[in-house]
Amino acid sequence: MASLIRPTLLRKQCLTVAARRAFTKQAMPKSMASNIYSQSTVTQSSPFGLSTLRIIQPTALRVAGFHASSRRLILPAGPQVIDGTANDPAPVPEPSPTHGSYHWAFERLISAALIPLTIAPFAAGTLNPITDAILCATILIHSHIGFQALIIDYLPNKRVPKTRALFWWGLRAATLTVGLGLYEFETNDVGLTEAVKRIWTA
Amino acid sequence: MLAQRFTQQSARRLLTNQPTLSRFAPPVAFAVNRSLPQARHVAFQPSSPVETTPAKSSDAYTILAAQRRQRPVSPHLLIYRPQITWYISGLNRITGSLLSGGFYIFGAAYLASPLFGWHLESASMAEWFGGLNSIVKGGIKFAIAMPFCFHSWNGVRHLVWDTGREFSNRQVQVTGWIVVGVSVVSASVLAFLV
Amino acid sequence: MAALRTYTSRLLASTLRHASRPAIATRNYATVEPISATAEAMSATQPPVPPKKTSTIEESGQSPEARTKTFHIYRWSPDTPSEKPKMQSYTLDLNKTGPMMLDALIRIKNEVDPTLTFRRSCREGICGSCAMNIDGVNTLACLCRNPTDTSHEARIYPLPHTYVVKDLVPDLTQFYKQYKSIKPYLQRETKSEDGLENRQSPADRKKLDGLYECILCACCSTSCPSYWWNSEEYLGPAVLLQSYRWLADSRDEHKAERKAMLDNSMSLYRCHTILNCSRTCPKGLNPGKAIAEIKKTMAFT
Repeated sequence: MASLIRPTLLRKQCLTVAARRAFTKQAMPKSMASNIYSQSTVTQSSPFGLSTLRIIQPTALRVAGFHASSRRLILPAGPQVIDGTANDPAPVPEPSPTHGSYHWAFERLISAALIPLTIAPFAAGTLNPITDAILCATILIHSHIGFQALIIDYLPNKRVPKTRALFWWGLRAATLTVGLGLYEFETNDVGLTEAVKRIWTA
Repeated sequence: MLAQRFTQQSARRLLTNQPTLSRFAPPVAFAVNRSLPQARHVAFQPSSPVETTPAKSSDAYTILAAQRRQRPVSPHLLIYRPQITWYISGLNRITGSLLSGGFYIFGAAYLASPLFGWHLESASMAEWFGGLNSIVKGGIKFAIAMPFCFHSWNGVRHLVWDTGREFSNRQVQVTGWIVVGVSVVSASVLAFLV
Repeated sequence: MAALRTYTSRLLASTLRHASRPAIATRNYATVEPISATAEAMSATQPPVPPKKTSTIEESGQSPEARTKTFHIYRWSPDTPSEKPKMQSYTLDLNKTGPMMLDALIRIKNEVDPTLTFRRSCREGICGSCAMNIDGVNTLACLCRNPTDTSHEARIYPLPHTYVVKDLVPDLTQFYKQYKSIKPYLQRETKSEDGLENRQSPADRKKLDGLYECILCACCSTSCPSYWWNSEEYLGPAVLLQSYRWLADSRDEHKAERKAMLDNSMSLYRCHTILNCSRTCPKGLNPGKAIAEIKKTMAFT
């Protein structure tokens, strides 16, 4: 590649490109698309206008699929697209502490609170509906945050916005449903800790 | 080394002039990428003039962008060495998802149980569980206690990290194995002794 | 984790195939690829062709007392973009090879296969050019000893989950752009008392030890699973370590601004304390701890 694009050319280019952000995202010119079918070697009509050699490649090369099966794909990364030139900094998102530092501190608080809440009812051996309800709510919030982290990690907004939105709202609906179910369980049944204790020792 | 390189170069020169020789060429110098370098050498022969067009500077970025789109992603998950750092982290996520998933399924099922006539009250579930074979009971208990203990102990480890402690490579490994050991012991106690 | 990811990817497979991969044909400067072939080529995360299915290139002129060792090296050339990446095997006589992995690579390039491509410069662990994945861990080839055990077969890949320019050369453009985004320089309006130097107490200077030594080789960032999945938005351990280097600097006056830049769900908080970063750092630094310190200062101030 280095031999293809001379560095000086690149550097000049970096300085002069005005519409930087959109540049690498721009779709290929239409003339290109038509060329692809009609030509097997690059000639002067190439929209790239690039110094090229006439090399006849074996036809097998043109047919060979890169990766034959989609069986082992692990969240495949798309083709490389870089916003702007190499000299632009990566965009910095707007600060939003509710999704950043507050969220982090809240998450730790909930996690830390789970330790005494889990141990206390079994250690004390008493059944207190209020601590039980608090434990249920804390586990629910902890789970919700955990699932949120999964969605944020594996369903990037940039790449799969629709799936992301679907899962995001699906999670909210699920958490509400489960919250309602737990409310029913807490009010109609013996409570979470007591139920676990009874089933475990059954 | 120099002598070897010289032989290689002269051999290559000979080859470009007389391509038929390639079938007698030693494998070392020519086995690699046989078609392309040779094709280039042939293309550079004065007898077949090279057709070129100058690249415009305004095209440089389009060319680069087009090339970027063809690049493969290097292998990652499947080739990275199994280390306690990321294995435990992955397990922490999996066990957490399993526990929370079970919790969510139970909560939703309890809400829906009157509709479908399921019996998810604690009394009937305890009755069902009590009726099981003791080996099956122990197995089910261990299968639930193990992810629970692992996630809990590793959660404590994470909370310690969040205070900025235990970050050296050695400490990370030691605490990791401690978590594994303590989880197995505590899960066994919960499953078979309680 | 693999199982989890495979599951999600299956769920998403159809969506991704249509939504994320633009049906734009691209081509190499020498060939024109049919659209279908390049679309396939873009599904990039497949494993390379294993060494069993590729040829082995052997060093010529083996002596009887040669200690022959095999190296499997990841190969992909932009000249033939539709060809699957493959693991090419080479054998070298260790008696004629230097002690480090970089020596072996240089020897392969000089004497066995001149088409092998990799970056190298200082050969003493100060430039960070030869960062690659050797036997499963990211490290600098020049600081990585080549085990003399000839039954051990070395496997060398480019840095994991990077876009490959050629063979062992990854494209680090995004990494450098992210580094630039954290403003890695002293930001300060007030003049020092004598107007000459921005002075710092030895104690304050000591806080920068373990931070300023980073050479930005990208070993830690590309060892981080979080960075693998979200390198577009998550900054990664190396850049966050650099960010902390300026947050910890007593002379810098834009700390609030620096913290605000990280205060969102992606830039910093995709770190889940996996700690592959600290484990792999060839310079012995601790990016994991630096990130934890950032999180601490952001939570309690």
